[in-house]
Amino acid sequence: MSLFPLHAALEKDFLVQLIPVDDADTMDQVAEKVAYHCINRRVKPRDGVMRVCRHQTTVPFPRSMTVAESGLKPTEIIDVIFE
Amino acid sequence: MAIHPRKNWYELTRTTNWTPSYVTEEELFPEQMSGHMGIPLQNWEGYDEPYKTSYPEYVSIQREKDSGAYSVKAALERAKIYENSDPGWISILKAHYGAIALGEYAAVTGEGRMARFSKAPGNRNMATFGMMDELRHGQIQLFFPHEYCKKDRQFDWAWRAYHSNEWAAIAAKHFFDDIITGRDAISVAIMLTFSFETGFTNMQFLGLAADAADAGDYTFANLISSIQTDESRHAQQGGPALKILIENGKKKEAQQKVDIAIWRAWRLFAVLTGPIMDYYTPLEHRKQSFKEFMYEWIVGQFERALIDLGLEKPWYWETFLKDIDELHHSYHMGVWYWRSTAWWNPAAGVTPEEREWLEEKYPGWNSHWGECWDVITDNVINDRMELVSPETLPTVCNMSQIPLVGIPGDNWDVKVYSLEHNDRLYHFGSEVDRWVFEQEPEQYQNHLNFVDRFLAGHIQPMDLDGALHYMGFQSVEELGKDAHDFAWAEKCKPSNTKSA
Repeated sequence: MSLFPLHAALEKDFLVQLIPVDDADTMDQVAEKVAYHCINRRVKPRDGVMRVCRHQTTVPFPRSMTVAESGLKPTEIIDVIFE
Repeated sequence: MAIHPRKNWYELTRTTNWTPSYVTEEELFPEQMSGHMGIPLQNWEGYDEPYKTSYPEYVSIQREKDSGAYSVKAALERAKIYENSDPGWISILKAHYGAIALGEYAAVTGEGRMARFSKAPGNRNMATFGMMDELRHGQIQLFFPHEYCKKDRQFDWAWRAYHSNEWAAIAAKHFFDDIITGRDAISVAIMLTFSFETGFTNMQFLGLAADAADAGDYTFANLISSIQTDESRHAQQGGPALKILIENGKKKEAQQKVDIAIWRAWRLFAVLTGPIMDYYTPLEHRKQSFKEFMYEWIVGQFERALIDLGLEKPWYWETFLKDIDELHHSYHMGVWYWRSTAWWNPAAGVTPEEREWLEEKYPGWNSHWGECWDVITDNVINDRMELVSPETLPTVCNMSQIPLVGIPGDNWDVKVYSLEHNDRLYHFGSEVDRWVFEQEPEQYQNHLNFVDRFLAGHIQPMDLDGALHYMGFQSVEELGKDAHDFAWAEKCKPSNTKSA
Protein backbone atom coordinates (compact mmCIF):
# COMPACT_ATOMS: atom_id res chain seq x y z
CA MET A 1 0.00 0.00 0.00
CA SER A 2 1.45 3.30 -0.97
CA LEU A 3 0.36 6.82 -1.74
CA PHE A 4 -0.56 7.31 -5.37
CA PRO A 5 -1.24 10.85 -6.69
CA LEU A 6 -3.88 11.24 -9.37
CA HIS A 7 -5.50 14.26 -10.97
CA ALA A 8 -9.26 14.08 -11.29
CA ALA A 9 -12.23 15.89 -12.79
CA LEU A 10 -15.72 15.10 -11.54
CA GLU A 11 -18.64 15.43 -13.92
CA LYS A 12 -20.20 18.93 -13.82
CA ASP A 13 -17.34 20.44 -11.76
CA PHE A 14 -15.21 23.19 -13.27
CA LEU A 15 -11.66 21.97 -12.74
CA VAL A 16 -9.14 19.18 -12.23
CA GLN A 17 -7.77 18.61 -8.73
CA LEU A 18 -4.91 16.70 -7.15
CA ILE A 19 -6.35 13.65 -5.41
CA PRO A 20 -3.98 11.53 -3.33
CA VAL A 21 -5.24 7.93 -3.29
CA ASP A 22 -3.75 4.62 -2.27
CA ASP A 23 -2.67 2.11 -4.88
CA ALA A 24 -4.77 -0.50 -3.06
CA ASP A 25 -7.92 1.62 -3.36
CA THR A 26 -10.69 0.25 -5.55
CA MET A 27 -12.21 2.45 -8.22
CA ASP A 28 -15.26 2.99 -6.00
CA GLN A 29 -12.97 4.25 -3.25
CA VAL A 30 -11.15 6.49 -5.71
CA ALA A 31 -14.49 7.94 -6.86
CA GLU A 32 -15.44 8.66 -3.25
CA LYS A 33 -12.14 10.42 -2.61
CA VAL A 34 -12.63 12.59 -5.68
CA ALA A 35 -16.25 13.33 -4.81
CA TYR A 36 -15.25 14.53 -1.34
CA HIS A 37 -13.55 17.53 -2.95
CA CYS A 38 -16.42 18.33 -5.35
CA ILE A 39 -19.88 17.15 -4.25
CA ASN A 40 -21.68 19.60 -1.97
CA ARG A 41 -18.87 22.08 -2.59
CA ARG A 42 -19.58 23.06 -6.18
CA VAL A 43 -21.57 20.14 -7.53
CA LYS A 44 -25.04 19.18 -6.32
CA PRO A 45 -25.43 15.63 -5.02
CA ARG A 46 -27.13 13.40 -7.57
CA ASP A 47 -28.38 9.88 -7.99
CA GLY A 48 -26.35 7.30 -9.81
CA VAL A 49 -23.20 5.30 -9.42
CA MET A 50 -19.91 7.08 -9.78
CA ARG A 51 -17.51 5.45 -12.21
CA VAL A 52 -13.86 6.14 -12.86
CA CYS A 53 -12.51 6.43 -16.42
CA ARG A 54 -9.23 7.46 -17.93
CA HIS A 55 -9.57 11.11 -18.90
CA GLN A 56 -11.67 11.67 -22.00
CA THR A 57 -12.58 8.02 -22.37
CA THR A 58 -16.01 6.49 -21.93
CA VAL A 59 -15.27 2.94 -20.78
CA PRO A 60 -15.03 2.91 -16.98
CA PHE A 61 -12.68 0.74 -15.00
CA PRO A 62 -14.39 -2.17 -13.14
CA ARG A 63 -15.63 -0.85 -9.79
CA SER A 64 -13.63 -3.33 -7.72
CA MET A 65 -10.40 -2.92 -9.69
CA THR A 66 -7.59 -1.40 -7.65
CA VAL A 67 -5.43 1.47 -8.73
CA ALA A 68 -2.43 -0.84 -8.85
CA GLU A 69 -4.29 -3.20 -11.19
CA SER A 70 -5.60 -0.45 -13.44
CA GLY A 71 -2.38 0.46 -15.21
CA LEU A 72 -2.87 4.12 -14.30
CA LYS A 73 0.36 6.04 -13.93
CA PRO A 74 1.07 8.40 -11.03
CA THR A 75 -0.27 11.91 -11.83
CA GLU A 76 -2.40 10.63 -14.70
CA ILE A 77 -5.78 12.32 -15.17
CA ILE A 78 -9.03 10.50 -14.50
CA ASP A 79 -12.67 11.45 -14.92
CA VAL A 80 -15.41 10.55 -12.46
CA ILE A 81 -18.75 10.29 -14.20
CA PHE A 82 -22.24 9.26 -13.10
CA GLU A 83 -24.01 6.19 -14.45
CA MET B 1 21.85 79.34 -31.07
CA ALA B 2 19.12 78.04 -33.33
CA ILE B 3 18.13 74.41 -32.85
CA HIS B 4 17.74 72.39 -36.02
CA PRO B 5 14.40 70.57 -36.37
CA ARG B 6 14.69 66.92 -35.36
CA LYS B 7 13.75 65.63 -38.80
CA ASN B 8 16.90 67.23 -40.23
CA TRP B 9 19.29 65.17 -38.14
CA TYR B 10 17.44 62.24 -36.55
CA GLU B 11 18.16 59.63 -39.23
CA LEU B 12 21.85 60.51 -39.32
CA THR B 13 22.45 60.54 -35.60
CA ARG B 14 20.63 57.35 -34.74
CA THR B 15 22.29 55.37 -37.54
CA THR B 16 24.94 53.97 -35.27
CA ASN B 17 25.90 50.78 -37.09
CA TRP B 18 29.50 50.51 -38.11
CA THR B 19 31.73 47.85 -39.58
CA PRO B 20 33.49 46.14 -36.67
CA SER B 21 37.20 45.53 -37.13
CA TYR B 22 38.37 44.26 -33.73
CA VAL B 23 35.64 41.60 -33.54
CA THR B 24 33.46 39.89 -36.08
CA GLU B 25 29.85 40.93 -36.64
CA GLU B 26 28.77 37.68 -35.00
CA GLU B 27 30.87 38.41 -31.94
CA LEU B 28 29.34 41.87 -31.69
CA PHE B 29 25.81 40.55 -32.15
CA PRO B 30 25.79 36.88 -31.10
CA GLU B 31 22.73 35.08 -32.42
CA GLN B 32 21.76 33.81 -28.98
CA MET B 33 21.40 37.36 -27.64
CA SER B 34 20.52 39.18 -30.84
CA GLY B 35 18.15 36.79 -32.60
CA HIS B 36 19.03 38.23 -36.01
CA MET B 37 18.45 34.85 -37.73
CA GLY B 38 21.49 35.35 -39.94
CA ILE B 39 20.15 38.55 -41.50
CA PRO B 40 23.17 40.85 -42.04
CA LEU B 41 23.69 44.20 -40.37
CA GLN B 42 22.89 46.36 -43.39
CA ASN B 43 19.47 44.73 -43.87
CA TRP B 44 18.50 45.80 -40.35
CA GLU B 45 19.23 49.43 -41.21
CA GLY B 46 15.91 49.49 -43.06
CA TYR B 47 14.16 49.24 -39.67
CA ASP B 48 11.90 52.27 -39.59
CA GLU B 49 10.47 53.03 -36.18
CA PRO B 50 7.12 54.80 -36.56
CA TYR B 51 7.62 56.95 -33.46
CA LYS B 52 10.71 59.14 -33.38
CA THR B 53 11.92 61.20 -30.48
CA SER B 54 15.11 62.76 -29.15
CA TYR B 55 16.46 62.59 -25.63
CA PRO B 56 15.60 66.24 -24.73
CA GLU B 57 12.06 65.76 -26.05
CA TYR B 58 11.72 62.48 -24.19
CA VAL B 59 12.86 63.92 -20.88
CA SER B 60 10.61 66.94 -21.22
CA ILE B 61 7.51 64.85 -21.97
CA GLN B 62 8.24 62.28 -19.27
CA ARG B 63 8.70 65.00 -16.71
CA GLU B 64 5.27 66.34 -17.57
CA LYS B 65 3.73 62.89 -17.28
CA ASP B 66 5.32 62.21 -13.93
CA SER B 67 4.41 65.57 -12.48
CA GLY B 68 0.82 65.04 -13.66
CA ALA B 69 0.48 61.61 -12.05
CA TYR B 70 2.20 62.58 -8.77
CA SER B 71 0.21 65.84 -8.57
CA VAL B 72 -3.11 64.04 -8.91
CA LYS B 73 -2.00 61.57 -6.24
CA ALA B 74 -1.02 64.38 -3.86
CA ALA B 75 -4.20 66.34 -4.53
CA LEU B 76 -6.48 63.36 -3.95
CA GLU B 77 -4.85 61.86 -0.88
CA ARG B 78 -7.63 63.32 1.24
CA ALA B 79 -10.24 61.59 -0.90
CA LYS B 80 -9.59 58.48 1.21
CA ILE B 81 -9.96 56.05 -1.66
CA TYR B 82 -8.89 53.14 0.51
CA GLU B 83 -11.51 53.88 3.16
CA ASN B 84 -14.32 54.86 0.83
CA SER B 85 -14.08 52.44 -2.07
CA ASP B 86 -15.90 49.17 -2.50
CA PRO B 87 -13.66 46.30 -1.25
CA GLY B 88 -13.83 44.81 -4.74
CA TRP B 89 -12.09 47.89 -6.08
CA ILE B 90 -9.34 47.71 -3.44
CA SER B 91 -8.77 44.09 -4.48
CA ILE B 92 -8.27 45.27 -8.04
CA LEU B 93 -5.54 47.65 -6.91
CA LYS B 94 -3.77 44.90 -4.96
CA ALA B 95 -3.99 42.35 -7.77
CA HIS B 96 -2.80 44.90 -10.34
CA TYR B 97 0.20 46.20 -8.40
CA GLY B 98 1.42 42.74 -7.38
CA ALA B 99 1.05 41.31 -10.87
CA ILE B 100 2.44 44.26 -12.79
CA ALA B 101 4.92 46.40 -10.84
CA LEU B 102 7.93 44.08 -10.85
CA GLY B 103 7.04 42.74 -14.27
CA GLU B 104 7.93 46.25 -15.39
CA TYR B 105 11.43 45.74 -14.01
CA ALA B 106 11.71 42.53 -16.04
CA ALA B 107 10.74 44.64 -19.06
CA VAL B 108 13.72 46.92 -18.32
CA THR B 109 15.90 43.87 -18.98
CA GLY B 110 14.09 43.19 -22.24
CA GLU B 111 14.44 46.76 -23.43
CA GLY B 112 18.10 46.67 -22.38
CA ARG B 113 18.63 43.54 -24.44
CA MET B 114 17.22 45.26 -27.53
CA ALA B 115 19.21 48.43 -26.77
CA ARG B 116 22.44 46.41 -26.79
CA PHE B 117 21.90 43.44 -29.07
CA SER B 118 19.41 44.40 -31.77
CA LYS B 119 21.12 44.84 -35.11
CA ALA B 120 18.63 47.60 -36.01
CA PRO B 121 19.84 51.08 -34.95
CA GLY B 122 16.27 52.36 -34.74
CA ASN B 123 15.37 49.51 -32.43
CA ARG B 124 18.36 50.21 -30.20
CA ASN B 125 17.45 53.88 -29.99
CA MET B 126 13.79 53.28 -29.14
CA ALA B 127 14.71 50.57 -26.66
CA THR B 128 16.94 52.98 -24.77
CA PHE B 129 13.90 55.14 -24.18
CA GLY B 130 11.81 52.03 -23.54
CA MET B 131 14.24 51.00 -20.82
CA MET B 132 13.70 54.30 -19.06
CA ASP B 133 9.94 53.97 -19.57
CA GLU B 134 9.91 50.63 -17.79
CA LEU B 135 12.05 51.93 -14.93
CA ARG B 136 9.48 54.67 -14.44
CA HIS B 137 6.64 52.15 -14.52
CA GLY B 138 8.30 49.93 -11.96
CA GLN B 139 9.06 52.79 -9.61
CA ILE B 140 5.73 54.58 -9.84
CA GLN B 141 3.74 51.37 -9.38
CA LEU B 142 5.71 50.61 -6.25
CA PHE B 143 5.49 54.13 -4.88
CA PHE B 144 1.72 54.50 -5.26
CA PRO B 145 0.71 51.34 -3.36
CA HIS B 146 3.39 51.96 -0.71
CA GLU B 147 1.20 54.51 1.07
CA TYR B 148 -1.39 51.77 1.67
CA CYS B 149 1.06 49.28 3.27
CA LYS B 150 0.55 50.78 6.71
CA LYS B 151 -3.19 50.21 6.37
CA ASP B 152 -3.21 46.82 4.72
CA ARG B 153 -0.36 44.29 4.57
CA GLN B 154 -1.59 42.83 1.28
CA PHE B 155 -0.33 45.97 -0.48
CA ASP B 156 3.21 44.90 0.44
CA TRP B 157 2.76 42.25 -2.24
CA ALA B 158 3.23 44.96 -4.86
CA TRP B 159 6.90 44.46 -4.08
CA ARG B 160 6.86 40.93 -2.74
CA ALA B 161 4.85 38.98 -5.29
CA TYR B 162 7.64 38.45 -7.81
CA HIS B 163 10.02 37.43 -5.04
CA SER B 164 7.62 34.75 -3.85
CA ASN B 165 6.38 31.31 -4.87
CA GLU B 166 2.73 32.36 -4.79
CA TRP B 167 0.95 30.59 -7.66
CA ALA B 168 -0.13 33.72 -9.59
CA ALA B 169 3.36 35.14 -9.22
CA ILE B 170 4.79 31.88 -10.59
CA ALA B 171 2.40 32.17 -13.56
CA ALA B 172 3.45 35.77 -14.24
CA LYS B 173 7.16 35.02 -13.87
CA HIS B 174 6.93 31.96 -16.12
CA PHE B 175 5.29 34.07 -18.82
CA PHE B 176 7.58 37.10 -18.55
CA ASP B 177 10.69 34.92 -18.38
CA ASP B 178 9.49 33.26 -21.58
CA ILE B 179 8.91 36.45 -23.55
CA ILE B 180 11.49 38.76 -21.94
CA THR B 181 14.37 37.53 -19.83
CA GLY B 182 14.72 34.16 -21.56
CA ARG B 183 14.72 35.51 -25.12
CA ASP B 184 16.97 37.29 -27.60
CA ALA B 185 16.53 40.93 -28.64
CA ILE B 186 14.38 40.36 -31.74
CA SER B 187 12.19 37.83 -29.92
CA VAL B 188 11.64 40.45 -27.21
CA ALA B 189 10.66 42.99 -29.87
CA ILE B 190 8.08 40.56 -31.25
CA MET B 191 6.88 38.76 -28.14
CA LEU B 192 6.95 41.57 -25.59
CA THR B 193 6.32 44.71 -27.56
CA PHE B 194 4.21 43.57 -30.52
CA SER B 195 2.33 40.61 -29.05
CA PHE B 196 1.93 41.70 -25.45
CA GLU B 197 2.18 45.46 -25.17
CA THR B 198 0.23 46.38 -28.28
CA GLY B 199 -3.02 44.90 -27.14
CA PHE B 200 -2.99 43.42 -23.68
CA THR B 201 -1.48 46.37 -21.84
CA ASN B 202 -3.96 48.58 -23.66
CA MET B 203 -6.76 46.60 -22.08
CA GLN B 204 -5.21 46.51 -18.61
CA PHE B 205 -4.12 50.15 -18.57
CA LEU B 206 -6.80 51.92 -20.61
CA GLY B 207 -9.76 49.59 -20.14
CA LEU B 208 -9.17 49.48 -16.41
CA ALA B 209 -8.58 53.25 -16.34
CA ALA B 210 -12.13 53.75 -17.60
CA ASP B 211 -13.49 51.62 -14.75
CA ALA B 212 -11.19 53.40 -12.27
CA ALA B 213 -12.43 56.85 -13.25
CA ASP B 214 -16.00 55.66 -12.99
CA ALA B 215 -15.28 54.22 -9.54
CA GLY B 216 -13.88 57.62 -8.48
CA ASP B 217 -10.26 56.44 -8.23
CA TYR B 218 -8.77 59.22 -10.36
CA THR B 219 -5.31 58.65 -8.90
CA PHE B 220 -5.17 55.10 -10.27
CA ALA B 221 -6.91 56.10 -13.52
CA ASN B 222 -4.35 58.84 -14.07
CA LEU B 223 -1.42 56.61 -13.15
CA ILE B 224 -2.22 53.77 -15.51
CA SER B 225 -3.21 56.10 -18.35
CA SER B 226 0.16 57.82 -17.93
CA ILE B 227 1.91 54.44 -18.20
CA GLN B 228 -0.03 53.45 -21.28
CA THR B 229 1.17 56.52 -23.20
CA ASP B 230 4.69 55.08 -22.85
CA GLU B 231 3.53 51.57 -23.72
CA SER B 232 1.84 52.70 -26.91
CA ARG B 233 5.13 54.33 -28.00
CA HIS B 234 7.60 51.58 -27.20
CA ALA B 235 5.15 48.84 -28.29
CA GLN B 236 5.88 50.03 -31.82
CA GLN B 237 9.27 48.35 -31.83
CA GLY B 238 7.89 44.97 -32.82
CA GLY B 239 6.17 45.92 -36.09
CA PRO B 240 9.30 47.10 -37.95
CA ALA B 241 11.25 44.07 -36.67
CA LEU B 242 8.57 41.75 -38.04
CA LYS B 243 8.73 43.60 -41.37
CA ILE B 244 12.51 43.00 -41.63
CA LEU B 245 12.07 39.31 -40.82
CA ILE B 246 9.31 38.88 -43.41
CA GLU B 247 11.32 40.74 -46.09
CA ASN B 248 14.22 38.41 -45.41
CA GLY B 249 12.31 35.16 -45.70
CA LYS B 250 11.69 34.55 -42.01
CA LYS B 251 7.90 34.82 -41.94
CA LYS B 252 7.43 31.33 -40.50
CA GLU B 253 9.77 32.03 -37.58
CA ALA B 254 8.15 35.43 -36.97
CA GLN B 255 4.65 33.94 -37.05
CA GLN B 256 5.63 31.28 -34.52
CA LYS B 257 6.86 33.86 -32.03
CA VAL B 258 3.70 35.93 -32.44
CA ASP B 259 1.50 32.86 -32.01
CA ILE B 260 3.27 31.74 -28.83
CA ALA B 261 3.27 35.14 -27.18
CA ILE B 262 -0.33 36.13 -27.96
CA TRP B 263 -1.61 32.84 -26.55
CA ARG B 264 0.47 33.00 -23.40
CA ALA B 265 -0.49 36.64 -22.79
CA TRP B 266 -4.14 35.72 -23.26
CA ARG B 267 -4.11 33.00 -20.62
CA LEU B 268 -2.40 35.23 -18.05
CA PHE B 269 -4.74 38.14 -18.68
CA ALA B 270 -7.74 35.85 -18.53
CA VAL B 271 -6.90 35.11 -14.89
CA LEU B 272 -5.78 38.62 -13.99
CA THR B 273 -8.07 40.96 -15.90
CA GLY B 274 -11.09 38.75 -16.54
CA PRO B 275 -12.20 38.43 -12.90
CA ILE B 276 -11.31 42.08 -12.23
CA MET B 277 -13.56 43.39 -14.95
CA ASP B 278 -16.50 40.98 -14.70
CA TYR B 279 -16.60 40.20 -10.98
CA TYR B 280 -14.56 42.60 -8.81
CA THR B 281 -15.53 45.94 -10.34
CA PRO B 282 -18.77 47.05 -8.69
CA LEU B 283 -21.62 46.49 -11.11
CA GLU B 284 -22.55 50.15 -11.36
CA HIS B 285 -19.00 51.06 -12.40
CA ARG B 286 -18.52 48.49 -15.16
CA LYS B 287 -18.03 50.21 -18.51
CA GLN B 288 -17.92 47.06 -20.60
CA SER B 289 -17.66 43.34 -20.02
CA PHE B 290 -14.25 41.67 -20.25
CA LYS B 291 -15.43 40.06 -23.48
CA GLU B 292 -16.39 43.44 -24.95
CA PHE B 293 -13.01 44.88 -23.94
CA MET B 294 -11.27 41.87 -25.48
CA TYR B 295 -13.05 42.30 -28.80
CA GLU B 296 -12.46 46.04 -28.90
CA TRP B 297 -8.86 46.20 -27.65
CA ILE B 298 -7.37 42.84 -28.58
CA VAL B 299 -9.23 40.88 -31.25
CA GLY B 300 -9.85 43.72 -33.70
CA GLN B 301 -6.47 45.29 -33.10
CA PHE B 302 -4.51 42.09 -33.71
CA GLU B 303 -6.53 41.15 -36.77
CA ARG B 304 -5.73 44.53 -38.34
CA ALA B 305 -2.08 44.60 -37.25
CA LEU B 306 -1.36 41.06 -38.46
CA ILE B 307 -2.97 41.63 -41.84
CA ASP B 308 -1.13 44.94 -42.27
CA LEU B 309 2.20 43.19 -41.68
CA GLY B 310 1.46 40.29 -44.00
CA LEU B 311 1.18 37.75 -41.20
CA GLU B 312 -1.67 35.32 -40.62
CA LYS B 313 -4.07 35.14 -37.71
CA PRO B 314 -2.70 32.53 -35.26
CA TRP B 315 -3.80 29.00 -36.18
CA TYR B 316 -5.79 28.76 -32.95
CA TRP B 317 -7.91 31.91 -33.55
CA GLU B 318 -11.27 30.10 -33.32
CA THR B 319 -10.22 28.44 -30.06
CA PHE B 320 -9.15 31.86 -28.77
CA LEU B 321 -12.51 33.44 -29.61
CA LYS B 322 -14.34 30.58 -27.88
CA ASP B 323 -12.07 30.98 -24.85
CA ILE B 324 -13.04 34.64 -24.51
CA ASP B 325 -16.59 33.56 -23.71
CA GLU B 326 -15.66 30.93 -21.16
CA LEU B 327 -12.21 30.74 -19.66
CA HIS B 328 -12.16 33.59 -17.15
CA HIS B 329 -15.41 32.48 -15.49
CA SER B 330 -13.74 29.23 -14.45
CA TYR B 331 -10.50 30.97 -13.54
CA HIS B 332 -12.50 33.33 -11.34
CA MET B 333 -14.24 30.49 -9.55
CA GLY B 334 -10.87 28.86 -8.92
CA VAL B 335 -9.27 32.04 -7.57
CA TRP B 336 -12.27 32.68 -5.34
CA TYR B 337 -12.50 29.11 -4.04
CA TRP B 338 -8.72 28.94 -3.35
CA ARG B 339 -8.81 32.61 -2.21
CA SER B 340 -6.50 32.10 0.77
CA THR B 341 -3.68 31.56 -1.75
CA ALA B 342 -4.09 35.04 -3.28
CA TRP B 343 -2.50 38.28 -2.03
CA TRP B 344 -5.77 40.08 -2.70
CA ASN B 345 -9.35 39.47 -1.58
CA PRO B 346 -11.40 38.11 -4.48
CA ALA B 347 -14.93 39.50 -4.76
CA ALA B 348 -17.44 36.75 -5.55
CA GLY B 349 -19.53 39.04 -7.77
CA VAL B 350 -22.58 36.75 -7.87
CA THR B 351 -25.48 38.63 -6.32
CA PRO B 352 -28.76 38.20 -8.23
CA GLU B 353 -28.19 41.53 -10.02
CA GLU B 354 -24.64 40.57 -10.95
CA ARG B 355 -25.74 37.16 -12.18
CA GLU B 356 -28.37 38.82 -14.33
CA TRP B 357 -25.63 40.99 -15.86
CA LEU B 358 -23.39 37.95 -16.41
CA GLU B 359 -26.22 36.05 -18.09
CA GLU B 360 -26.90 39.03 -20.37
CA LYS B 361 -23.22 39.43 -21.31
CA TYR B 362 -22.52 35.68 -21.49
CA PRO B 363 -25.73 33.84 -22.41
CA GLY B 364 -25.76 30.43 -20.73
CA TRP B 365 -23.67 31.56 -17.73
CA ASN B 366 -26.34 30.42 -15.26
CA SER B 367 -26.53 26.88 -16.60
CA HIS B 368 -22.76 26.47 -16.40
CA TRP B 369 -20.97 28.50 -13.73
CA GLY B 370 -24.25 29.45 -12.09
CA GLU B 371 -24.84 25.81 -11.15
CA CYS B 372 -21.61 25.72 -9.13
CA TRP B 373 -22.25 29.14 -7.59
CA ASP B 374 -25.72 27.89 -6.52
CA VAL B 375 -24.05 25.21 -4.39
CA ILE B 376 -21.46 27.64 -3.01
CA THR B 377 -24.10 30.26 -2.22
CA ASP B 378 -26.32 27.72 -0.49
CA ASN B 379 -23.39 26.68 1.69
CA VAL B 380 -22.64 30.27 2.65
CA ILE B 381 -26.28 31.04 3.43
CA ASN B 382 -26.55 27.94 5.62
CA ASP B 383 -23.22 28.54 7.34
CA ARG B 384 -21.54 25.43 5.97
CA MET B 385 -18.29 27.36 5.67
CA GLU B 386 -16.11 24.25 5.80
CA LEU B 387 -17.42 23.51 2.29
CA VAL B 388 -16.48 26.86 0.74
CA SER B 389 -12.75 26.39 1.15
CA PRO B 390 -10.57 23.73 -0.48
CA GLU B 391 -8.85 20.73 1.06
CA THR B 392 -6.59 19.87 -1.86
CA LEU B 393 -4.70 21.63 -4.64
CA PRO B 394 -6.03 22.37 -8.10
CA THR B 395 -4.03 20.70 -10.86
CA VAL B 396 -1.95 23.29 -12.66
CA CYS B 397 -1.08 23.66 -16.35
CA ASN B 398 2.57 23.03 -17.16
CA MET B 399 2.56 26.04 -19.49
CA SER B 400 0.29 28.76 -18.10
CA GLN B 401 0.86 27.67 -14.46
CA ILE B 402 -2.85 28.30 -13.91
CA PRO B 403 -5.34 25.60 -12.83
CA LEU B 404 -6.74 23.22 -15.44
CA VAL B 405 -10.36 24.24 -15.92
CA GLY B 406 -13.27 23.69 -18.26
CA ILE B 407 -16.98 24.35 -18.49
CA PRO B 408 -19.04 23.14 -15.52
CA GLY B 409 -22.72 22.27 -15.33
CA ASP B 410 -24.71 21.48 -18.47
CA ASN B 411 -22.73 20.01 -21.36
CA TRP B 412 -19.84 19.51 -18.98
CA ASP B 413 -16.56 20.00 -20.81
CA VAL B 414 -13.27 19.70 -18.93
CA LYS B 415 -10.47 18.63 -21.22
CA VAL B 416 -6.78 18.28 -20.44
CA TYR B 417 -4.06 17.89 -23.06
CA SER B 418 -1.27 15.69 -21.76
CA LEU B 419 2.16 14.88 -23.13
CA GLU B 420 4.78 12.36 -22.11
CA HIS B 421 8.20 13.85 -22.73
CA ASN B 422 11.53 12.43 -21.53
CA ASP B 423 9.67 10.07 -19.19
CA ARG B 424 7.79 12.91 -17.52
CA LEU B 425 4.03 13.42 -17.78
CA TYR B 426 3.02 17.02 -18.48
CA HIS B 427 -0.56 18.37 -18.40
CA PHE B 428 -1.79 21.40 -20.33
CA GLY B 429 -4.99 23.41 -20.16
CA SER B 430 -5.42 23.59 -23.91
CA GLU B 431 -4.19 22.20 -27.20
CA VAL B 432 -2.38 25.50 -27.74
CA ASP B 433 -0.48 25.36 -24.43
CA ARG B 434 0.73 21.89 -25.39
CA TRP B 435 1.66 23.15 -28.87
CA VAL B 436 3.71 25.96 -27.31
CA PHE B 437 5.63 23.39 -25.25
CA GLU B 438 6.24 21.23 -28.29
CA GLN B 439 7.75 24.13 -30.24
CA GLU B 440 10.68 24.46 -27.81
CA PRO B 441 10.63 21.73 -25.15
CA GLU B 442 14.09 22.76 -23.92
CA GLN B 443 12.69 26.18 -22.99
CA TYR B 444 10.10 24.67 -20.64
CA GLN B 445 10.82 21.04 -19.77
CA ASN B 446 12.72 21.54 -16.51
CA HIS B 447 10.22 23.88 -14.88
CA LEU B 448 8.17 22.50 -12.00
CA ASN B 449 4.70 23.90 -11.53
CA PHE B 450 3.26 24.35 -8.07
CA VAL B 451 1.78 20.83 -7.89
CA ASP B 452 4.99 19.29 -9.26
CA ARG B 453 6.87 21.01 -6.42
CA PHE B 454 4.33 19.75 -3.91
CA LEU B 455 4.68 16.17 -5.13
CA ALA B 456 8.48 16.50 -5.24
CA GLY B 457 8.48 17.29 -1.52
CA HIS B 458 9.59 20.92 -1.87
CA ILE B 459 6.62 22.02 0.23
CA GLN B 460 6.66 20.98 3.87
CA PRO B 461 4.54 20.11 5.68
CA MET B 462 2.52 18.72 2.76
CA ASP B 463 -0.70 20.50 3.65
CA LEU B 464 -2.40 23.84 3.11
CA ASP B 465 -0.38 25.56 5.84
CA GLY B 466 2.83 24.29 4.30
CA ALA B 467 1.69 25.49 0.88
CA LEU B 468 0.82 28.96 2.18
CA HIS B 469 4.17 29.23 3.92
CA TYR B 470 5.96 28.11 0.75
CA MET B 471 4.07 30.76 -1.21
CA GLY B 472 5.51 33.44 1.05
CA PHE B 473 2.56 34.51 3.16
CA GLN B 474 3.85 35.90 6.45
CA SER B 475 0.67 36.37 8.43
CA VAL B 476 -3.03 35.53 8.45
CA GLU B 477 -3.88 39.13 7.48
CA GLU B 478 -2.12 38.62 4.16
CA LEU B 479 -4.18 35.61 3.10
CA GLY B 480 -6.92 36.32 0.61
CA LYS B 481 -10.47 36.23 1.88
CA ASP B 482 -13.87 37.03 0.44
CA ALA B 483 -13.73 40.75 -0.38
CA HIS B 484 -17.13 41.48 1.13
CA ASP B 485 -16.91 38.98 3.98
CA PHE B 486 -19.76 37.04 2.35
CA ALA B 487 -22.23 39.95 2.70
CA TRP B 488 -23.24 39.31 -0.93
CA ALA B 489 -24.86 36.03 0.11
CA GLU B 490 -27.46 37.98 2.11
CA LYS B 491 -28.85 39.32 -1.16
CA CYS B 492 -29.12 35.75 -2.46
CA LYS B 493 -31.39 34.50 0.31
CA PRO B 494 -34.73 33.42 -1.12
CA SER B 495 -36.50 36.01 1.01
CA ASN B 496 -34.41 38.78 -0.56
CA THR B 497 -34.51 37.77 -4.21
CA LYS B 498 -37.04 39.30 -6.53
CA SER B 499 -39.73 37.01 -7.81
CA ALA B 500 -39.53 36.47 -11.56
